[in-house]
Order: sequence, then structure tokens, then C-alpha cells
Amino acid sequence: MRSSRAIAIGAAFLTAVSLAGCSASGGGDDANADGTETIKMVAWPGPEGDAMAKVIDAYNDGQGKKDKIHVELVLLSRQDTFSKETALMASKDGDLDIYWTASYNVGQFSGSLEPLEGIDTSNYFPVAVDGLTYKDELYALPLDVSNHFLLYRTDLIDTLLNDPAAAATYSALAQDILGEARQPVPADQWDLDDFQVMAAYFSTSANPASPTQYGTILQAKNLLYNTMIWNDVLWGLGGSWTDDDGKAAIDTAEGKAAVQLYADIYKNGWTSPDSAQAEFPETQAALQSGNVAFAIQWSAAFAALNDPEQSPDIAGKIGIAPVPGGQTHVHALSLSLNKYGDSQDAAKTVLSYLATTDAMTAYAQAGGIPAMPEVLKANVDLNPAFNEVATSIADYGYAEPVFPKTFQAYSKLAEDLSGAWVGQTSVDDAVETANANLQELLDQ
Amino acid sequence: MTGSALTPTAVRTHRRRRSLTALLLASPLLVFAAVFVLYPLITGALTAFQASTLLDQSNEFNGVDNFVSLFKNDGFLRSAGFTVGFAVVVVAFEMLLGFALALLMNRAFPGKKLFFTLVLLPIMVAPALLGIMFRLLLNGDIGAVPALLEQFGLSVSLFAPSSVVPLLVVLDILQWTPFTFLIIYAGLQSFPRELLEASSVDGAGRFRSLFHIVLPTLAPVLFAAFFLRMIDALRTFDVIYVLTAGGPGTTTTTASIYIYKTAFEAGDFGKAAAAALVMLIVLLPLVPFIVRRIAAPGKDGAR
Repeated sequence: MRSSRAIAIGAAFLTAVSLAGCSASGGGDDANADGTETIKMVAWPGPEGDAMAKVIDAYNDGQGKKDKIHVELVLLSRQDTFSKETALMASKDGDLDIYWTASYNVGQFSGSLEPLEGIDTSNYFPVAVDGLTYKDELYALPLDVSNHFLLYRTDLIDTLLNDPAAAATYSALAQDILGEARQPVPADQWDLDDFQVMAAYFSTSANPASPTQYGTILQAKNLLYNTMIWNDVLWGLGGSWTDDDGKAAIDTAEGKAAVQLYADIYKNGWTSPDSAQAEFPETQAALQSGNVAFAIQWSAAFAALNDPEQSPDIAGKIGIAPVPGGQTHVHALSLSLNKYGDSQDAAKTVLSYLATTDAMTAYAQAGGIPAMPEVLKANVDLNPAFNEVATSIADYGYAEPVFPKTFQAYSKLAEDLSGAWVGQTSVDDAVETANANLQELLDQ
Repeated sequence: MTGSALTPTAVRTHRRRRSLTALLLASPLLVFAAVFVLYPLITGALTAFQASTLLDQSNEFNGVDNFVSLFKNDGFLRSAGFTVGFAVVVVAFEMLLGFALALLMNRAFPGKKLFFTLVLLPIMVAPALLGIMFRLLLNGDIGAVPALLEQFGLSVSLFAPSSVVPLLVVLDILQWTPFTFLIIYAGLQSFPRELLEASSVDGAGRFRSLFHIVLPTLAPVLFAAFFLRMIDALRTFDVIYVLTAGGPGTTTTTASIYIYKTAFEAGDFGKAAAAALVMLIVLLPLVPFIVRRIAAPGKDGAR
């Protein structure tokens, strides 16, 4: 009996210890003994997070000491950063002071964010600031801009432009595809018709003498980021998500033509069949393999493709041009104040610091692409694409409408259209469904 | 000797003490279950009846609105249909192959240990990691497998819309057959050999022994393997999410992917909780039946 009692007491003790372990590790404020306040800021791993880490290190060692603020960078996983933040926001968690946000989700997150007031945003691209403004309130500070370019093989295009026999083949293909005998033109002059004929010309399925197996690679996976690339085609053809009255406009002639362009390229074998599941890394790998002549790709890709170590077969042969159709989606990764954060004033001080050209110059030097045109132009020697980024965003960048369900709209459009992009479902049915679903999201 | 001398009061006291001890010993598990099972379950069920989105965190009771919204469009039903179809096909193959492998491994042959280890390798890899590995290995533009097949004149596009569902089925079978094999093999190890010897003496052939002796005796083990695998297959997420994210369109969207996207992309926790609750309610009645089959001894397995 005594041993039973001992076991029972032991079990009770274990339970108590377990419960104690489950409890919070203790509250208290975030101020250290010397008065330095610690704030927590989220970033995702990768080039942007790495660059931010260096800027934060510099802040902690310099300005942070004067401000009596220490910033702790919390790296979540790249793929699930927004999912984890969503869960934290839903529980009104106050542990993290600065969230990692983006143009495409700031509307949805706005209920958990504190509007930013009194921070100078005049150094940023206006389109980047607009994309982070919801109901006339700025909810995030632009950090890293992303847009699209046509990345193409200069050697292949130059050969085509300088070889009359090749140009004749191209012209014949244009006659078949477009009904007009076009001549090849330099990449920076392509429209979306040229893009289509070029895709055919550099594909062995249409041109057995093609130096590459496929002309291009479409990013056709059911993924919200792929909607952003398809949007370039939609905008390039004169369309948009909404009409002038703010109603969904995917089932317009432009919307159908944009989906049809993808479907034609896919069904005719001018992109690989596996591009049905392609996104950024697959596109990058396809270009690096030398099997593909060009692609609409994210700005961050250019430097790696011209790096002999990362892309030995094509480095030095990659050109950069505006997206055919002359429209590029622009979004900004950004930083926002947690409405429930424990140290809002200190967090705002840090954001004000990050809004300076000095901080963003340090960010560019650390490998990021800051959303400040003057900083980009002043640091072209760091990344040759900086000048193109600055020019393209200022001249023909657009931001999709910001509304509470913007993030969901990107996902829903990918879900509704990706089947049609690869010829699995009819274009008419897909755009009709997409339009109805987008309207429902706009109405909510 | 003393037991027969105990008074009824002493027996009651003894029983009460034993119950108390049992309760205290079980208390860590009960606390764990209450905190990590019961609380999330109740919270989840309550959320299903609340307006709980990122934009509206009031958590106001909204009756069955989330359920109505769930069934208003066919996204959830389509994903549930795909999930059930996918689970039935993969588990059927995994049971058959696992059983065949277990029978094979139940014999002695050269290199058995090495083969055994190789067979078990796929379940030692995290599903998400396996998804990333397959994504790199099987992609027609960059993958080693298509490149290797190309050397033999075989051109394959495993991620094309026509082949992506069969690909996912094959990958699931590759990864999870070792699991069913392991459970069935463990059951075979404790199989009473004298039964087979007796049937052999009675003149039963291999197939007759298999269908009339081995299968009925192993029924609880087979049910356990089937049940565990079916539960897992019905919540399939990782590999499919990494490889296709549920596309093209919604072709490969499982119920788990639907729930994940509803919660974390749409930010609609109420609707996601409603979907999870519906899945739970649909699956719950199966549990007592299957548990009874697993727990049942002997041939017929019924009590």
C-alpha cells in the first residue's frame, strides 16, 4: 500500500511539473536593465531576410544604441511565413512587434496592423506605397520590390535577327500563328504576339531546327505568385481585374485572350508539359539548362542567371527587357506594425530608421532590392538589374487593386484559371468561374 | 490467505484506493489529452459556429453560416471526393503490396536484411522533404529521372495534367507501402505455425491455406494496418501540396489542402473549422466499428 501511495504521489508530482511546463515562461516587459528595449521583427529566410539581417545588425551596433532599442530578427520558414503570421494575428498575439507583409496581403492583414503615420515615404516608388495603402491608410513600409522582366538568350535572338533564312522561317511561322508575316524584332520591342511567335520559333515542335527544345517556360502551377505573372499578360492586352466601376472583369475579351495565349503556348508544345507545375525555381532551372530561349521571370532571377558559378552554360548570354505587352506587376515586400505588439513606439522608431536612404543603401549593399528609385540608381554597380528595375517600375509598373480579399483573389484566380492555362478546362468556363469568384470576393 | 478474511468494507476501501491510484497514475495522460486533444477539439468545434476571419475577429456566433457557405460552392465536396477516391486507391494498393512483401520477407533468402532495410527507407523520410525531392527528381526540365529515361528513348512528362494524378498515386504507394508491410510482417512473425502444418497435413494447398488460415487469423492485424493507413491517406497533405499545390485547377486538391487554404490563404478560420468538423463527423462513426474489428480475437472478429 505504501508503494502505491508513493507511486500516486510521484504521478501527481509529474502532473504538476507537466502543467508548470505548459504554462507561460513568464511575462514582464521587454526592457533590459540598462533601459534598452527589445523588439521582435519577422523576416523570411532567403536574399531579403539575409539582407535585412545585415541591416539590423548594423542598426543594433549603431543607431540602436542611441535609440536604446535592440531588434531581434525572427526568421520563419520562407514558404509558411504568412501562414504562421496569420495564425498569430488570429490569436491577437503581441509577442512580435513588426510583421513581414506584402502588397498582396496587407488588405487582408489590415485588421491586425497599426496604420503608419508620420513616417516619410517620399523616397519610395509611389506605386509601391500605393500598393500598401488600404482605405487611405498606409499599413506597411515598402522594403523589397519585385517585378517581372523578359529574360532572354541574347546569343539566340541575335542569331535570329542577323540570319535572313532564320528570319524567313520566323516570318512564315508568324503567318501561320497570327495571320500576318511579321519580321523578328529585338526583345525590348516585343509585344505579346511577338512573344507567342518567338515561343513557337524556338520550339522544336514548331521549328525542328530550333536551337532549344522549348521557346519559353510558362509558370502555370496553381499558385498565387503565378497569377501575378499572368496578370502581366492580362494588363498587357489592355485588361485588368476590374472595370472602371470596380466590377470583376476577367470574363472580358482581354481576359479570355490572356488565358488563350497561355493555353495556345502550352497545347502547342512551346513550353514544356511539366510547366503545368512550374514556378520560380523550375523556370530558373529551365533557363539555366539552356533548353529554353526566354521567359517572363521575377527581377531577382537576373543576377543568378548571369553568374558563371550558378549558371555556367548561359552566364553572360542573358539579356533583360521589359515584359512583352509593356506592363509589369509590382509588389513590395514590406514591414508592418503589429496592432497588438507590446512595444509599438520602439517598433515605429525602427521603421522610421528603415525608411531612410542610408538604411536602404545598406540593404541594397547586402543583396536586397530596395523600393527607392534613387538608391537603386546610385548602386547600379552592385546589380546591373537595378537600373532596369528602377526604370520599369517607374515607367510601366502597375499594382493590382487592394481590397480586403486581394490575397485570396490571387489564389482563387490561380485555382480557377490554372486548369485552362494548360488546356485542361475550357477558357470560357474558366474565365466565367474566375469572374464570378472574383466578384464574390470584391463584394465581401 | 488473508483475502478470504476481508470484510466488505475493507474490500470497498481497497477498491477505492486502487481506483484512486489508477486515476492518479493516468492523470498525466488525462491532462495531456485534455490540453492537447479535448481543448483544441472543443475550440475548433466552437469556431465552426463563429464568424472568425482575419478581418472580423469578433468571433460572434453565426449559427450554421459557415456550413452553408461550405456547401454553397462545390470546392469542398470536390476536394472531399478526390480525397476519398485517392485514399481508397492508394490504400488498396498499399495493402496488397504490403501483404505480398510481408509474405516474401517471411521466407529466408540471401540479402534479406539489406532488402528489408531498403524497403523501409521511404517511411524514414519526412513527407514534405520527399515532395521536394520528387519535385527536383521528376521534373521534365531539370529532373534526373526524365533525363535518365531520355537516354533509353523514353520521353516522359510526369507533371503534365494527364499524368499528375497517377504520379501522385504512385508516389504515395512508394512511400507508404513499407508501413503496411511492416505491420503485416510483424503479425506474420507471431502467426502460429502449427495451423499451417495442420492444414498441410489435411491436404490444403498454398492458396487454400492463405485464404482460409492466414488471412482470417491475421484479420485484426490487417484491419489495424488498413485503418491506420486510411486515416493517414484521408488527411494527405504534404507531398501533394509541395508538388502541385492542389492543381492544375483543383484537380488534386485534397480536403486537407482545402482546409489549409481556407484558413491560411483566405483567412477564414470559421469556414475552415466547419470543413474540418464535417470531415470529423463523417469519419467518426467508422472508428468504433474498426476498433471492434481490430480488438476482436480469432477468425470472425465479431463480438
